[in-house]
Amino acid sequence: MFRSVPVVDTFRDRLPATIHVLFGIGFIALFLLLPIALLVINSLNFGGELLENYRIALSDVYLRAIFNSLFIAAVTTPILLLLAFFVSYFIIFQTERTRLMLGLVLLPMWIAYIIRYLGIQLFLYPNGPVVSVFDTNFGLLFSTAGVVLGLVSGFLPFAVLPIYNSLSGVDRDLIDASSVMGATRLSTIRHVMVPLSIPGFVTAGLLVFILSAGAFLAPDILGGPSDLMIANMIERSYSEIFDINLAAALAVIYTGILLTLLVAFNSYLNIGEVLSDV
Amino acid sequence: MLEVQNLRKEYGDLVAVDDISFELESGEFATLLGPSGCGKSTTLHSIAGLVEPTGGNMLLDGVDVTNKPPYERNVGLVFQSKALFPHMTVAENVSYGLRMNGFDEETIERRVSEYLELVEMETHATHQPDELSGGQQQRVSLARALAYEPEILLLDEPLTGLDRVLRERMRNEIIKIHDAVDVTTLYVTHDQQEALAMSDRVIVLSDGRVQQIAEPEKLYHRPENPFVAEFIGKSTQFSGSIESTDPTLLQNGARTVHVESPEATQGTEHTAYVRPESIEVTTEPDETAPNSFSGTVVHSEYLGNRTEMEVELSDGTVVDAVADAVPDVTNGDRVTVQFEPSEVIVL
Repeated sequence: MFRSVPVVDTFRDRLPATIHVLFGIGFIALFLLLPIALLVINSLNFGGELLENYRIALSDVYLRAIFNSLFIAAVTTPILLLLAFFVSYFIIFQTERTRLMLGLVLLPMWIAYIIRYLGIQLFLYPNGPVVSVFDTNFGLLFSTAGVVLGLVSGFLPFAVLPIYNSLSGVDRDLIDASSVMGATRLSTIRHVMVPLSIPGFVTAGLLVFILSAGAFLAPDILGGPSDLMIANMIERSYSEIFDINLAAALAVIYTGILLTLLVAFNSYLNIGEVLSDV
Repeated sequence: MLEVQNLRKEYGDLVAVDDISFELESGEFATLLGPSGCGKSTTLHSIAGLVEPTGGNMLLDGVDVTNKPPYERNVGLVFQSKALFPHMTVAENVSYGLRMNGFDEETIERRVSEYLELVEMETHATHQPDELSGGQQQRVSLARALAYEPEILLLDEPLTGLDRVLRERMRNEIIKIHDAVDVTTLYVTHDQQEALAMSDRVIVLSDGRVQQIAEPEKLYHRPENPFVAEFIGKSTQFSGSIESTDPTLLQNGARTVHVESPEATQGTEHTAYVRPESIEVTTEPDETAPNSFSGTVVHSEYLGNRTEMEVELSDGTVVDAVADAVPDVTNGDRVTVQFEPSEVIVL
């Protein structure tokens, strides 16, 4: 038998592995689990009726905001996936300037969301360029469509990166093989490229769904009064009516809903398996 | 069947294919042979429609397909990488071309089992490609390229990456399958043995140009230019000018080589190529032999059915020779090499 050559790793020698693990777990415990625990404690009313905040949180106005959030996320996500696929397709197959194009996709991330949303607002304003050209802003300002537009523009890079990554990993020979066997470009996309980019779609979908469902700047700046999402409600009950307990209850309910959705999605399509199958 | 006319492909300043023309007969098995970078793969991919040529035309069964996309050409292509769809079963892979070409379900089912049987993979129909060995994957790939019965089958170095024994077996399999379905086939390889063993005709390419198109025997024994003579098989070369023409004598340094070459004229420069099997290595030379040179055995390699030898002549020229079974000479022995003038290739 061969003896394995000892690997010189001074860092590992000084710090036992348990310390590394403890550091990681400690960080998550301190900044994720502990705050959530505090949130749960804060959401309960120990003085009187224990679940009073939850009763208020489940009233019509908040349920409506929750529904709104999920609805907007559910509309935004497929639009983003479709758009991100075509952006990725363009970057990979239609241009030689891959780096430049990727850079352009990422560039907006260097600009604060609030500035980007205000930019969209100005763009759609009655005296803005859209109205001066088309005589209408197509009802995109202060509406649900406006919020979706803002989210799509804001989160596109988060959808493009995973899909680009998956799609560029598809062997060119497979695409050529499909084409030689008689598949049109669209058939090749449908039967070869999309199925082989599923991991990218799953990652991108989860990412932008969660981001959209928790958005609060876009509805604030681009939405109408009826487009308030749950994050706006949480923020308002905290900073405007100073009801931190209600805010906590809303947060707990919404987190619970999102986790339930994730579990349901996972039982339908094993995420871990899909993502490991890249 | 297939006509390639003045095909040209440039990548920027690089000319990958420089005016290549050839024709394939229906049912023929032809090979594009050449070193890497000679333009053989580019030529093949142009025929498949995956590379857009800079110039020239390609006709498939009389129809100009030069500007048609791959999916309108009806060709079959086997990739070096096999390129099986990893998200489909073996049967789904084989049915892909049939589906894309709009065959009905009944035909699809029949053809899939027919062609899987042809490549002896019928028991693996429901397997995923990654459950198969490299050789099995290549069989499936072959069935997939044939199932929709394309007008021409193109194979791009399909046996690269397989081990030697498997490669030789697959070689025979491909020939057998070709004979069974009688499809016009264009095979690309850099392996001259593969080309010689498999093809009806070989198209030798170098630097993007056709060097010679010929049957394997002719290519080996009657190469048309120095590139082909040197690329196909081993040979010993003697360069020099023709001293006289009756008999034809080639002056190679201090050595006079008797050759047979009706075209050679006095004073012109030529190279004489002698194949190893034309050379006799002996310790009892025939005094009347026209070409008889003495030297020393510097290397010998026993290969079971034959022994390959290198004999160094007095001026340092090394002669490659081959002897049947066990020769009676070993390294360091003084020997004489002899060969017939008629066996010499003069270019």
